[in-house]
Amino acid sequence: MAFTPRGRGGARGGATPRGGSRGGARGGSRGGFGGGARGTPRGGARGGARGGGRGRGTPRGGGRGGRGGAGGAKGGARVIIEPHRHAGVFVARSKEDMLVTKNLSPGESVYGEKRISVDTPSTEADGAPTKTEYRVWNPFRSKLAAGILGGLDDIFIQPGAKVLYLGAASGTSVSHVADIVGPTGNVYAVEFSHRSGRDLINMAKKRTNVIPIIEDARHPLKYRMLVGMVDVVFADVAQPDQARIVGLNCHLFLKEKGGVVVSVKANCIDSTAAPEAVFAREVQKMREERIKPLEQLTLEPFERDHCMVVGRYLRSQS
Amino acid sequence: MVAVDYLLQETSVGYGLYQVVQQPDTIGNRLKEVQEATQDLSRFGKMIKLVSFAPFQFSSPPSRLLGAAQALENANDISEGIANDHLKALLELNLPKGGKKKKVVLGISDKSLAGSIKAAFPGVDCETNEVVQDLLRGLRLWGPKFLKQLQDGDMDRAQLGLGHAYSRAKVKFSVQKNDNHIIQSIALLDTLDKDINTFAMRVREWYSWHFPELVKIVNDNYLYARLILFIRDKKTLSNDRLHELVAITNDDAEIAQSIIDAAKVSMGQDISDMDMENICHFAEKIVSLADYRKTLHGYLVDKMSIVAPNLAQLIGEVVGARLISHAGSLANLSKYPASTVQILGAEKALFRALKTKGNTPKYGLIYHSSFIGRAGAKNKGRISRFLANKCSIASRIDSFSDSPTTKFGEALRKQVEERLDYYANGTAPQKNQDAMKDAMDAVLADIAVDADEDDEDVDPEMVDIVEPKKPKGKKAKEKSKGNREGKSGKKQRKEKKEKDKKDKKDKESKKRRRDEEEEEEEEEDVSEKKKPKKPKKEKKSKA
Repeated sequence: MAFTPRGRGGARGGATPRGGSRGGARGGSRGGFGGGARGTPRGGARGGARGGGRGRGTPRGGGRGGRGGAGGAKGGARVIIEPHRHAGVFVARSKEDMLVTKNLSPGESVYGEKRISVDTPSTEADGAPTKTEYRVWNPFRSKLAAGILGGLDDIFIQPGAKVLYLGAASGTSVSHVADIVGPTGNVYAVEFSHRSGRDLINMAKKRTNVIPIIEDARHPLKYRMLVGMVDVVFADVAQPDQARIVGLNCHLFLKEKGGVVVSVKANCIDSTAAPEAVFAREVQKMREERIKPLEQLTLEPFERDHCMVVGRYLRSQS
Repeated sequence: MVAVDYLLQETSVGYGLYQVVQQPDTIGNRLKEVQEATQDLSRFGKMIKLVSFAPFQFSSPPSRLLGAAQALENANDISEGIANDHLKALLELNLPKGGKKKKVVLGISDKSLAGSIKAAFPGVDCETNEVVQDLLRGLRLWGPKFLKQLQDGDMDRAQLGLGHAYSRAKVKFSVQKNDNHIIQSIALLDTLDKDINTFAMRVREWYSWHFPELVKIVNDNYLYARLILFIRDKKTLSNDRLHELVAITNDDAEIAQSIIDAAKVSMGQDISDMDMENICHFAEKIVSLADYRKTLHGYLVDKMSIVAPNLAQLIGEVVGARLISHAGSLANLSKYPASTVQILGAEKALFRALKTKGNTPKYGLIYHSSFIGRAGAKNKGRISRFLANKCSIASRIDSFSDSPTTKFGEALRKQVEERLDYYANGTAPQKNQDAMKDAMDAVLADIAVDADEDDEDVDPEMVDIVEPKKPKGKKAKEKSKGNREGKSGKKQRKEKKEKDKKDKKDKESKKRRRDEEEEEEEEEDVSEKKKPKKPKKEKKSKA
């Protein structure tokens, strides 16, 4: 797989905003997807899963995301788990590198993803090694994973954080976010569709840090009793008025200086305008909602015409 | 600016009522210094004092699925903006009785809740401004700190339990239950059609090794499968079985005779019993599938006549069901503008056209209605637009009317027929006004008959209201309906829907008038120019 989580850190040089610098930095690692990447991996991977409704939601449309995780998941002995730059995220290094998270409910897959079991030496001197299970996180199915692989600076989602997740769908990505925040954190997963809400509730039964909320994210007041103050708002709602939706939820639930991570699908907002123009407009709208944009990242090659916008909620900004 | 005296906080463990001891700064609300006041517990704690807390009854320990009944009830009420008795009791006990002059100001987070609180407590004023929101944010942040009895993690557990209970209830109770069955059955119908066809192809191929001539004689899949079951080995077919064979071929003696003749001279291979047995098994399956398809179709027709009678009457059950399925529900379909209904199902072509600035498609799913096939090539687009208009109206009537009739569907259908006629040989169609009036009269006549039977049912005033306003008969009906509901004290929301519908109809009729004018001009260009505007509407409606 094509990512080098650490190597790029130096090249970025701290505060430099994303943009031009990315091309060069990625250089070598692109190989895996390079050149014709657009056509082939996409079609096979996401294409199948798209299908009905919100696409990502439908569980396992036609086979999972191609090569995303299938790689060297077997042969547990060879796999080395390294922590990723973002706390709570790990990288499994074997024949191919994979993004993984520590499984909160060991022994079970949520959506048929591969699991990797690794022996970790016990903390006590004579203790037997304990097994830790990790789940492979496929960037073709999860935009957050794609964002992490793309090299987001700060995702705000970390162990112990409370996350408001808008557009939870069937809970595939939510399960990974729940893995990251761990038992001390909380994920409030909001989804409107009853059909995918069913799967979400079932997933949440296994993970006690996920609170499923089947309600329209446009009306955060309706679920104000269920949600406390949160550290991060993650939104993957793909609606024309998504900036407004995010704003409403931030005003109500997000802590001052909390993080906002929004995935923008250009086609869902304006299918006729150029994606770049749509992104710029969305960022501007977020500014008006008192969210200070920190970085913007395209999700190529995992998604077409998508971008991830990360910001910080500054209520006191006048 | 009014000073806020009290604050109401709704949490998953109960309602909290707080007194505002020290008024917050209202000027420069967004300044960093002002905002910091709520960030800092020591400062915020001085501003706010807990008055009372009304916890929900939980079974102990709070389990995830059970024991949150009271909390769930309250959560549902809060999300609908209704003041629950539990909340009223808390306010009754702890709020001072405000006089007419000096009202007690209660800061809450939701405007819709304000109405029901004011109704119960005339001496209380509700405030939802930004200052209040800031204070409530502070409460949300520091709330657990004010509640001394609350243990660490209690709030999280309560949220978890309530979240599950609330969401389960939401999934359980679906508004569009009826549409779901239509959507599923139309999808199943399509799948069955496809499958039956593939299976039939297979069995034809297979049986043709034994009796190749049969394929030429019998075209129909279902009949073919039944004939296999009857004939089995072609050698057993002789003239004395002609009678039974005729019964199967729908009393067509000619076909039956030609089958027998063909069997005698067939060039097919002989077949062993075991092979024959397998072919027959398969043929049986096909026959039973085809039978099932028939019953399913009957079910769909029944269901459509209950859920969307007018739409079914206008465009046919299957196409109507497809429209509903594509929109997601009848309610969604009724919210679409007619221009969207027109190209529903042709999204790919539409977006391609938008991207390349080409011509947008003329029709989507409604192409499968017989009307469009009957129109001349030049008029296909026009009749499609007209039909989509009528479909949109029909779906609105179906979605929002209480008593289902097919009268409007019939009238709309007639209008489309007349329009077709007009294009074909210039017969002037009935005026829309008159057509709608006739339909309305027919409906009212029905209602009047009902009213005679049990006169409690209908408000006699309604008829009076309708009669004088001839042209806007339909609208008048809506109005009277709205009134009726207001009287019977039904939900306000429904009334609002009615109102929306009225507005929409206004627009609709205006648009129709415009359209008709255009059509009079017979300018293809005009309609072409209009088209690019449509997609915008569609997107809005999708949102």
